[in-house]
Amino acid sequence: MAKHKVGAVIVSHGQLANELLAAAETVIGDLDNIVAVSIGWHDNVEAAKDEIQRAISSVSQDAGVLLMTDMFGGTPTNISAMFLEDGKVEIVTGVNLPMVVKLATHPEDSTLSEIAKEVEEQGKQAIYRTATLFEPAKLKKDA
Amino acid sequence: MLEGKLTIVNQLGLHARAAAQLVKLSACYTSCLRLRRPDTAAEADARSMLDVLTLAAPVNSVLLLSAEGEDEAAAFEAVCELFASGFGEI
Repeated sequence: MAKHKVGAVIVSHGQLANELLAAAETVIGDLDNIVAVSIGWHDNVEAAKDEIQRAISSVSQDAGVLLMTDMFGGTPTNISAMFLEDGKVEIVTGVNLPMVVKLATHPEDSTLSEIAKEVEEQGKQAIYRTATLFEPAKLKKDA
Repeated sequence: MLEGKLTIVNQLGLHARAAAQLVKLSACYTSCLRLRRPDTAAEADARSMLDVLTLAAPVNSVLLLSAEGEDEAAAFEAVCELFASGFGEI
């Protein structure tokens, strides 16, 4: 029997979610277990909720679903929070491209909780003040 | 264990799509493949795309490749060929 894989939904304002998924697929290839929900600026809550529900159902394989939202406190996160369920649905906010890549390349036997933790850590680690890598001495002096 | 120098020859350097190709190739072998930048001491597992990207290796930079395992010779050669081909960009 094939292993069940954790699914994921990227939820954002505007078209950000679709574009993040498109960028990840351009780099890695098709990502069957990840879908995007871009909430329109004028969508009502019920419509957005229904769309997220459909998206969760479409990627759910009984191994749990990770919702990756654009910004803590924003509408996509607040609506996504209605679906939180221990062991079944988790949310990580502040989605960026390295987080989507991390999710897409995790080992198949990872649990939802393990993946959520790794994706959160990856998102934080992947932010660099690039100049500090190239000119550490100068920046230290200026800081 | 095999070790050797690789030079990045494609203009865009070791960017995301190039790193993805390296990861895909590395997954075909059981040997442990690692890359190191001698000038910054940054190291990466060739099976992890996000790890490889942290090398931030531009065109003309030199990386040290090490391969260790049962199929290390074949893996080493395949990675060398991929870098020499400029990840299909030249």
